[in-house]
Amino acid sequence: MFLRLVADSFTRRPRRKILSMAALAMGMAVATAALSVSLDVGDRLAQEFRSLGANLLVTPEADSLPLEIGGVDYRPANAGTYLPEADLGKLKTIFWRFNIMAFAPILEVPVEVGPAKPNVTLIGTWVGHAVPVPDGTSYVTGIDKTNPWWHVEGSWFKEASEQCVVGTEFAKSSGLKIGDTVSVRPNGEVGWRALKVVGILTTGGPEDAAVVTPLAIAQQLAGKPGQYRRLYVSALTKPEDAFARKDPKTMTQAEFDKWYCTPYISSIALQISEELKGTDVRVIRRVAEGEGNVLSRVRTLLWLVTFAALLAAALAVGASAAASVIERRTEIGLMKALGANSGLVGVLLAAEQLLLAIVGGGIGYAVGVVLARVLGERIFGFTPEPKIFVLLIILGLASLITLLGSAFPLRQAARYDPAPILRGE
Amino acid sequence: MGSSSMFWRIERRLLTTNYGRLFVILLALGAGAAVTSALLNLQMDAKKRLTTEFRALGANVIITPRQANNEVSGGATLEEGVLSRLPIVYEGKRVPEVGFLYVIGEVAKSGEAHFEPAVIAGTEGQGLTQVRPGKRTEYVVDLENDPEACEIGAKAAAQFKVRAGDSLQLRNQGNAAKCKVFAVVATGGAEDTQIFTKLKTAQGLANLDGRLSLIQLSVTATPDSVKAFIATLGEQLPGANVSGIKQFAEAEGRIYNRISGLLSSTVLLVLFLTSLCVMAGMSNVAVERKNDVGLMKAIGGSVRRVVRLFLTEAILLGIGGGLIGSAVGIMVSIWLGKAVFGVAAEPRWIVYPVSVTLTVMVSILSAFPLRRLASIRPAYVFRGEE
Repeated sequence: MFLRLVADSFTRRPRRKILSMAALAMGMAVATAALSVSLDVGDRLAQEFRSLGANLLVTPEADSLPLEIGGVDYRPANAGTYLPEADLGKLKTIFWRFNIMAFAPILEVPVEVGPAKPNVTLIGTWVGHAVPVPDGTSYVTGIDKTNPWWHVEGSWFKEASEQCVVGTEFAKSSGLKIGDTVSVRPNGEVGWRALKVVGILTTGGPEDAAVVTPLAIAQQLAGKPGQYRRLYVSALTKPEDAFARKDPKTMTQAEFDKWYCTPYISSIALQISEELKGTDVRVIRRVAEGEGNVLSRVRTLLWLVTFAALLAAALAVGASAAASVIERRTEIGLMKALGANSGLVGVLLAAEQLLLAIVGGGIGYAVGVVLARVLGERIFGFTPEPKIFVLLIILGLASLITLLGSAFPLRQAARYDPAPILRGE
Repeated sequence: MGSSSMFWRIERRLLTTNYGRLFVILLALGAGAAVTSALLNLQMDAKKRLTTEFRALGANVIITPRQANNEVSGGATLEEGVLSRLPIVYEGKRVPEVGFLYVIGEVAKSGEAHFEPAVIAGTEGQGLTQVRPGKRTEYVVDLENDPEACEIGAKAAAQFKVRAGDSLQLRNQGNAAKCKVFAVVATGGAEDTQIFTKLKTAQGLANLDGRLSLIQLSVTATPDSVKAFIATLGEQLPGANVSGIKQFAEAEGRIYNRISGLLSSTVLLVLFLTSLCVMAGMSNVAVERKNDVGLMKAIGGSVRRVVRLFLTEAILLGIGGGLIGSAVGIMVSIWLGKAVFGVAAEPRWIVYPVSVTLTVMVSILSAFPLRRLASIRPAYVFRGEE
């Protein structure tokens, strides 16, 4: 009898039920979308901030002082120490290897560009370079990943080719176009080396006046095979908090372990210097701090917005549940007139609402996954993965809110005197 | 007019017959309005706050001489007077601006005879710490105002084995100078290897009186506004090259758009949910009012009049909920601003009317279920068949 009553209420007035289910589903769809986007977006946002550029700089530990102004090292090529390129695969073996998003070694050589253009900086680096990792795999990275604001018109040079990319200012002042050939030689030497220009580079920095080539070419020109001078590393990090600012030397063993196993920029820096011997790993403060500040603000904002959406969804679902109970006053009156007690009526309606919540919540979840996809793609440029965990939360939330929403009118209904209701008052 | 006063009397009755329902609908509209106005206000504020946060990145505008600034000493330089012609304030915010003159000189700790080449940067202007963010690992405040004070990068400090309080000897092209270290700074960039002196010291060493290599500015404004600043300044300084630092500008712009998009789409979703909520309430109203409408029609009320009655009700509810909710929302956003950005959000008054208008629109749209009342046939209603 109980089940028949529940079933009847669904089959007899399908339009009503569909309407309140639609409201429930819409509310839960929004909740699903908000939850899935914000669960996934935290990591994505951190990656977004990597477009600020590298946050770690690796230089030789025992080195003469670089004479660097505006990104150009004015030391002669034979001064100072160098680092071995062959070690770089080890970066992907540190504890937080998956947080190393990109890295690119740099070797600068002052060159003469023919005919008669002395003191041009030639920058050798990687683009789309496959680095062999000690575990047998390889990892593709390069300056295009660490410095995403470097725009190349045309294309980047290919590794192991006699190609180069020229800075936009340099191209303008020497009248170079894509497809032209430039000849370069180290300052004061004789033999020219011809390179084909395949792209024009715009960085907004000193590289605009430079020539950029594959690292191997720069190494040959400088007479430093297999070596580099500076390494930029872009790492995903956790914004520094009070704990991260403590000096690791004063930490207890337990604290140190916790610090070491948290992807703070400082602990990643330590891990890199442990792997790459003879290096000095420095945190590029402006990037690391700017990133940390903004990221923690944005994360709070994101949760706040999710909370606001959940709250609104809860209100909407609760209100529609309340409305669907109020609508059925006459029915309740009739049941009571026929001898049902308030408890039975309550259980009957609650069962109905639960059924509605589970079906509506399920539909809402499906719609919400699509909505999350649209929102994720439009706003953040990625698609959040649907999670079973979110489905469980949504079903639980839907049941809880519909029950809460119906509880208030149900309590009122319990007090109804059947006679006036049946009279239509 | 008699019919008008009748209209309002019915209206009052409609609103006050069921306080419980009135409360639920007002609560829905009010909550929607509150969330809308809070998020809108936060959105306007977020941009401003984030521009401030982003200034942790340091300088975002750089002024260089017209010719490529590739060679250092003897290369192109700017006139020092440019520094005093720059705006001190932009959009109500102070603009830190520092002129630099770079010299590759030779440096030794005082008392030692072995000199090593290093970059000496003469600086002049307000806000060196803002255009060149970093961490001062050592800092002696008292020495800062010394006429011979200088600051040294962490890597250079290690190389020359100096600490705050020590003195340095500087020389270049036969000129010599002395300076007293007041701070050691770690930035992670090229600055770690440089020595920051007063501008006059560097100018003396390089024989470049009254000249600068470049000027760095840190403008607190949105990316578009910074572009406008660069364009205006470029016109005012025909002899110089004014450009933005692309590295940060692009990332900043992208992050703003993401956040803005996030907040506006949430506002849309919340308004949609509010209308669902109100619609649920209104469909109850429709059921309850069948008899009233039947009676109105039976005694000659036109459909248009009945509809107008309910529309007015929806508008009144929207205005009521909107006025209260939006005010609450703006207050909440002030507090939220504090929670998110550490600074109370400024209330923008434009948000208030916008959010009230949106709420009224939502309320009118949600009165859609009442359209059923227009098609009521009085006779059937009174027989209890509809």
